[in-house]
Amino acid sequence: MALQISNYSNGILHNVSFSVKRGENLIILGANGVGKSTLAKVLCGLLPSNAVKIDGIIPSQTYGEARAKRINYIPPKLEIFDSYLQVQEFLALSHFNKTLTIEEALAQLNITHLKTDPCQILSSGESQLVLTASALLHRANYTLFDEPTANLDPSRMKRLFTLLKHDTTLPSKLIITHNLDLAYRLGFEILYLEEGQVTFHGSSQRFFDQAHLDRRYGGSIKKINNHVVVTL
Amino acid sequence: MRKIFLLFSLLLLITAPFFGEIDLPLNMLLQSTSMEHQVLFKLRLPRVLLAFFVGGILSLGGLVFQVVFRNPMSTPFTLGVASGATLFTAIAIIAGFSTLGPLFAFTGAMLTVIVLFAIAARFQSYDPTALLLVGIALSFFYAAALMVMFYLSTLQESYEIMRFTMGSLDVVGFGNIWLLGAVSALLLWLVHYYHHAFQALLTSYEFAFLQGIHVKKLSHILLLGVSVAVGVAVSMTGPIGFVGLIIPHILKTLYHTSADKLLWQSFYYGGVFLVLSDLIARNLGESNLPIGVVTSFVGAPFFIYLLLRRKHI
Repeated sequence: MALQISNYSNGILHNVSFSVKRGENLIILGANGVGKSTLAKVLCGLLPSNAVKIDGIIPSQTYGEARAKRINYIPPKLEIFDSYLQVQEFLALSHFNKTLTIEEALAQLNITHLKTDPCQILSSGESQLVLTASALLHRANYTLFDEPTANLDPSRMKRLFTLLKHDTTLPSKLIITHNLDLAYRLGFEILYLEEGQVTFHGSSQRFFDQAHLDRRYGGSIKKINNHVVVTL
Repeated sequence: MRKIFLLFSLLLLITAPFFGEIDLPLNMLLQSTSMEHQVLFKLRLPRVLLAFFVGGILSLGGLVFQVVFRNPMSTPFTLGVASGATLFTAIAIIAGFSTLGPLFAFTGAMLTVIVLFAIAARFQSYDPTALLLVGIALSFFYAAALMVMFYLSTLQESYEIMRFTMGSLDVVGFGNIWLLGAVSALLLWLVHYYHHAFQALLTSYEFAFLQGIHVKKLSHILLLGVSVAVGVAVSMTGPIGFVGLIIPHILKTLYHTSADKLLWQSFYYGGVFLVLSDLIARNLGESNLPIGVVTSFVGAPFFIYLLLRRKHI
């Protein structure tokens, strides 16, 4: 039982191979434009490829619950066409995990008050939390989060961090982020993309070793009081 | 507000057949041999039903098209189905087969659908915008071909073609009504059957895909279903504009609810709107106004009024 990509190349990514066992988590790091989101779209089947296998299926060739239950992708922005679709109706669409109710998922993210709001009027931070709630209700074997904390204020960021760190309902979380401190504190395995290629895949401990950080970031990233900070 | 609309519309549907040039006193209607009885059951009632079904198909079709193309300007005619029907009707008239007009119109509509989907099948990926553009290109092509037909036609033929493009709800007897009723039922069943997937289309292509939905297949099924139904409707009445564009928008403004909850309402109120328009067309002035003129005259000001009155959420 694993998510696996072998020797995948397109215009942006070059010869990407790695795998994640079910139950393991992964953080995907890399500069802007190196292909992190492209990689996410390949993994979930939005960009067709036979190089991806997830628990025995090829996602771009599989439809219905067989795919939906295996892989889910949470984009950085909520995109809704209809002006009146409410948060609860939106969440009902991805409600595969019947052990959790929509009310519980909303409460978990402290956004119960948004339940009947139309999705289109949400702020970017609120819509990010709604998307996270949909990930919990969907509960795919592998959930890809693309920049899940990009638009959050500090207190909500803390809440989401706690959820990502301690949640045990999602079997595998793959998190794309620019936030090195978040990556460090989560402590998950790290995959580093550089110019479309995987240049690091290993433990958090090895990646966040100061000597390794210095080599990779040229001394601009420091570990201070058990936090990773950018020296400006 | 919604209840008032429902009450008013029901009243309208029930009384619509009794309004017209000829008064229909109740005591005469009870005699099955009377002229009044004939007028009501052979002309008025079929006409009201024709208007109701056609309005319903166009309005529901418009709603579905707007969601599938993610474009609020879409109408069921956007893909060129109506233009195809018009062109082939013109061909029938010029070739001297006026009586076979509806059959030609339906052929034109279906040919358009076949051409569209043959092209769509060649797209590498799912691309509704490209399909929309192909439909628009096809419409222009048909418009040019129609010009050629006008150019080749006599004055009388030109007049006949022109009258078709204005739309007409003239009908005698129930033959076509049964067909339209069946088509309407099939269309309603289709959107009801795909209701959940249709709801997912209200988000984004990506999100719907991630819920396991085969978005390309679903979109094509919905577009095909609507196009066939609209093809049948248009071949009987000509292209009646505006219904498919405004009724879905009016309902969204009135109900403040997502499109997936307006499927039945779209059909019902689309039908009511065309019945009302026809009532006005039949009873205003001396001669029958073309129905297409009335739908736009009635619909456009009301639509703009609603847009101005719209509360910002």
